[in-house]
Amino acid sequence: MNQNSLSITLTINGTEKTLTVQRSDTLLDALRRASYFSVKFGCGTGDCGACTVLLDGEPVRSCQIRATEAAGRAVTTVEALADKEQVFLPSPGLAGLHPLQRAFIETGAIQCGYCTPAQLLTAKALLDRQPNPSEAEIREALGGVLCRCTGYVKIVQAVQRAAALLRGEDPAPFAPIEATLAPDTPLAELLGEYSRVGADGAPLILSPPEMEHLNVVGQGEPKVDGVKLALGQPAFTDDIQMEGMLYGALLTSPHAHARIKQIDASQARALPGVHAVLTHRDIPRVKYASGGQSYPQPPPFDQVCLDDTVRHVGDRVAVVAAETPALAQQALRLIEVEYEVLPHVLDPQAAMQDGAPIVHDEPDTEGIYDRQRNIVHHIEAEGGDREAQWAKADYTFEQEYRTSQQQQAHIEPHVCITYWDEDGRLVVRTSTQVPFHIRRMLAPLIGLPVKQIRVVKPRIGGGFGNKQEMILEDLCAHLTIATGRPVRMEYTRAQEFTSSRSRHPQIMRYKIGVTAEMEVVATELYLIGDTCAYGTHGLTVQMVGGQKGLTLYNAPYSKFVCDVVYTNKPTPGAFRGYGSMQCHFGIEMLMSEIADRMGWDVIEFKRRNWIKQGEELLLAKALGEGREGFQQIIRSNGLEDCVRVGLEATDWYHKRGNETWRQGENGMRRGIGMSVMLHGSGIAGLDMAAATIKMNDDGSFNLLVGATDLGTGSDTILAQIAAEVLGIPATDLVVYSSDTDFTPFDKGAYASSTTYISGEAVRKAALKVAAQIKDHAATMLGSDTSEDMTLRDRQVFTPDGSSLTLEQVALSSLHQQDQHQIIASASHISYECPPPFGAQFVELAVDTETGQVTVERVLMVADAGRVINPITASGQVEGGLQQAIGFAHCEEMVYDESGRLVNPRLGPYRVYRCHEMPHLEAIFVQTEEPTGPFGAKSISELPLDGIAPAMADAIHDATGVWIREVPFTPERVWRALRSADTYSGVWQI
Amino acid sequence: MLPEFNLLTPQTLAEALDMLAESAPDAVPLAGGTNLIVDLRDRRQCPAVLVNVAELAELRGIRQENGHVVMGGGTTIAEMLNDPLIAQHAPVLQDAARIFANPLVRHRATVAGNLVYGSPAANTPPPLLVLDAEVELASQAGVRRVPLDDFLVGVRETACRPAELLTAVRWPTPAQHSAAAFRKVGLRKSDAIAVLNVAVRVTQRADGVCEQTRIALGSVAPRVIRARAAEESLLGQPLTETAIAEAARLAAEATRCISDIRGSADYRRRVTEVLVRRLLTQVAGEVK
Repeated sequence: MNQNSLSITLTINGTEKTLTVQRSDTLLDALRRASYFSVKFGCGTGDCGACTVLLDGEPVRSCQIRATEAAGRAVTTVEALADKEQVFLPSPGLAGLHPLQRAFIETGAIQCGYCTPAQLLTAKALLDRQPNPSEAEIREALGGVLCRCTGYVKIVQAVQRAAALLRGEDPAPFAPIEATLAPDTPLAELLGEYSRVGADGAPLILSPPEMEHLNVVGQGEPKVDGVKLALGQPAFTDDIQMEGMLYGALLTSPHAHARIKQIDASQARALPGVHAVLTHRDIPRVKYASGGQSYPQPPPFDQVCLDDTVRHVGDRVAVVAAETPALAQQALRLIEVEYEVLPHVLDPQAAMQDGAPIVHDEPDTEGIYDRQRNIVHHIEAEGGDREAQWAKADYTFEQEYRTSQQQQAHIEPHVCITYWDEDGRLVVRTSTQVPFHIRRMLAPLIGLPVKQIRVVKPRIGGGFGNKQEMILEDLCAHLTIATGRPVRMEYTRAQEFTSSRSRHPQIMRYKIGVTAEMEVVATELYLIGDTCAYGTHGLTVQMVGGQKGLTLYNAPYSKFVCDVVYTNKPTPGAFRGYGSMQCHFGIEMLMSEIADRMGWDVIEFKRRNWIKQGEELLLAKALGEGREGFQQIIRSNGLEDCVRVGLEATDWYHKRGNETWRQGENGMRRGIGMSVMLHGSGIAGLDMAAATIKMNDDGSFNLLVGATDLGTGSDTILAQIAAEVLGIPATDLVVYSSDTDFTPFDKGAYASSTTYISGEAVRKAALKVAAQIKDHAATMLGSDTSEDMTLRDRQVFTPDGSSLTLEQVALSSLHQQDQHQIIASASHISYECPPPFGAQFVELAVDTETGQVTVERVLMVADAGRVINPITASGQVEGGLQQAIGFAHCEEMVYDESGRLVNPRLGPYRVYRCHEMPHLEAIFVQTEEPTGPFGAKSISELPLDGIAPAMADAIHDATGVWIREVPFTPERVWRALRSADTYSGVWQI
Repeated sequence: MLPEFNLLTPQTLAEALDMLAESAPDAVPLAGGTNLIVDLRDRRQCPAVLVNVAELAELRGIRQENGHVVMGGGTTIAEMLNDPLIAQHAPVLQDAARIFANPLVRHRATVAGNLVYGSPAANTPPPLLVLDAEVELASQAGVRRVPLDDFLVGVRETACRPAELLTAVRWPTPAQHSAAAFRKVGLRKSDAIAVLNVAVRVTQRADGVCEQTRIALGSVAPRVIRARAAEESLLGQPLTETAIAEAARLAAEATRCISDIRGSADYRRRVTEVLVRRLLTQVAGEVK
């Protein structure tokens, strides 16, 4: 015990404990070191609340309290809430859980589960003092704990439900509302109750009359990882402590653009307890691209692990590994770097001018389109007859739109632990969406063959695209190779902002030709995509943007021209919405602007032109993802119903343009706006997923998938798909996912692909296993055919009514007769990418004197094909809406002139909190996509696509002003309201 | 993980003042830590000694004394929000407390910390300024009282000297015919640091003529300021629409705004006028 160590005695979860702590420890440090892993690190700045514990019954942020302050007091963590022995009785269920934990699982309030312990404790403190809280009280109480996955809808419902349980009430099972939607269904009757008062967030599922009802698919199954996450079990990357583990830390650049003239690490290396310091001189220079994409990755390979040039504030300079986090930080401060500061450029249009600073002048980066003008890619694609189509246009409209740089802000930072296993293989335990890509991409950087690397993804605390990227794995692995010891690296929250990834800012210039009969005859888009310091995802994000932006209305002539440009800012990458949501902002706004200008009903104008069933996507072949794509035809399209339902549910025609409804007091004006959208389901002809299903003695199964559940619930819906085929409950499948040694390949969790691609792989594997079960049953029954046998209720039935249990089949096949393992693998790739469709409706209020916008109500009606799990699917919608509202309203990475980010904290960056959220509603209009598993399409990214234009449309409805740049900050709105010229584009008539 | 420092935990106020005196200027008092702990972690402040004053009984409690309300410096924002005496005599302070950050922060953050930190965007100074509050600063040398208006100096700058501790805030119990209001403009509801905030208080005679006015503006100058010309313009006047508009215009003139991530100087000045006008209109209707 050194002079700074001391021991403190406190009560933790009812038991007196003595902990050895440092004076400099926060309570969070001390609790995690003592293996209370449910207490999470999210920011260290008191903004996110993930570290919340109860101190003498009051919720406090353990990162803001010194450990010594807890001496003599009582600390409660989530580990204390449940009776674990009872939870893990032979048949694990919800018994033994605290009513809050039960309710969180039942309502789907847990997505990634990283903030769940903090939400549970905060809610417990509330219910302890107020057994019957109002919704407003719940929201207020939970306002201190950020969630980035759920939009808080189901968390609030869970607390309400738990309060009822604790009061001794017996609330009805939490379930989605189901109804049939026929073309002649009277909508007012169907939606009457639902739409006027809201349905407390329970999703409404509307099905066509002919749709077959399934047993497990379509049910709101609780998440397979729900219990573990509710208990706060050590399930995340950082929830282990390894013998001899070192702590890695990253030194980042203070300059936007500089060359490292000298770097002296001798003092840092001399510090006792420091085991490695690596600079660009210490590791080989291997070019790579950090985006986790399929082989071969899109160019350019413009990065190296550590470089002698830094290209943005926050760029990598050096890494250290030391025995404690404090020592690692101290070592960073001892590294002396002499920089030659170079001119920098922050604005993409300035970067394209002659004489601008060149961001990538290094000769070993190949494939830059125009290095002198910082244009990394120039893309051109067109379809249709240009002259003929433009000749039909009676009117031409052209307008420019801009989007800002949004950060993913997942609550769990990037974190990675690397170590040598007993066979001398490198294990990478990491918070990633792409374990298989990481393994392949890492190998050349560290000089190991792929076979010597194992990548494991535990539970991860959200990613939203930012973990579709190799951020820490290469550096952490280099440190393990240099030291021979386990090394753990975790980003600080500031590094998440400056040194991970974000959303590409875009400048869009759309040009649309229409006839006097409301027909869109031609659309052109010129796009400048700012890929900032490095080109990762730069090509593909912009290609997807162009493809989706021009496909929504699929004009007979469409043209896309794009420049992807380098600047000296922190690098964007993949972020849910992936170019599509930016380009939807432009196209949907211009369509609304045209309708307004022409005096057309906006719904009718859009309806006439949006892409219909049976239509071929004009640019699908020309614009794939980083390569040529494949021809596409729309086979399922519920957009008409989505809009029809949304109009009725919001009472659109009563509110839109209604001056009485609009007017409020004190300069307040209300407005309603809408947008339509489409997305994709995976990457056609490229995304591959595989699954293995193996039968066990008791008739249960292991489901092994490479698919990567980042909190979305994919493990659960994949189990539902297998269970449907095998005639068993989803709980009879033990799901294990995302481990490169033990699961088959899957490209990973991105491009809205998991349900559609991985789901079909699982269905195929399950069909093969079902066939093997039937064959073995035939052997057991002495029958010469297994035809017409069916699987249901954990049994296999013959047409004559005799049956065997799956347990009997399993035991027989493993031990008794024609012994073999019933097991099958299947792979799936699709040459189609069926779009899910949706319509979003926003109601808001504008304070015309201050420009402050308050979003009051948001409805999304979505066609995601058949919904595999209404609870997880609506959770995707609600969480997506929260991120989309943030993008449109307040989130923005802001830089000063030197390229320094001014708001690298969750507080000033402004993620929506529970008590700030508008009322959110989700309705699904089911369709059957013939190429998807049980008719399913994707849902995860679609909700991001339309909020910004719908909000702009609503602000226009309220005030008559169009705002063409996000976010809609008070000042931007205020300025627009004061600008006499509300139209700055080019109108040609 | 925080930098190394020596943490002292005094049992009494006198002990705390001794400790601060002994290590001045390298000693900093620590209460809720909602600003300080973040600063320590980011190394914006690196004091050698922290004196833990969170538990000192002398800094707690809200009471009435000789026509004044006296609130201990260690009062948390949550305590202020739930205190009946504050509800009765200074509801404007609760308006500011209600939208102070979020519940977790409100449980820890203290009024003394909010004042001593010297942020021009802080929530409690505008209402306390319109209440004519004074702060009590204790040190080994004794206690001195400083009007809050003199205490606030600039960005992160106050009249608090090394080895002094802000022990209490006090203000005269407001007159019967007095009403006050507070409003903040943020990007959204509470958690966003204010683009600007405004508090006003007006005392009117029975005939509606204004006897006393206080207008305090946050985030529009290096410190929270009073708009004196605007205040004076209303003296002896009924609160007519015209008088209010003129006062609002003068208040906007008093600002010395900067442009930053939350808003431009021009925007802040213009919206100051809007808020002052609205708040004066609101209180004009409330005064009995």
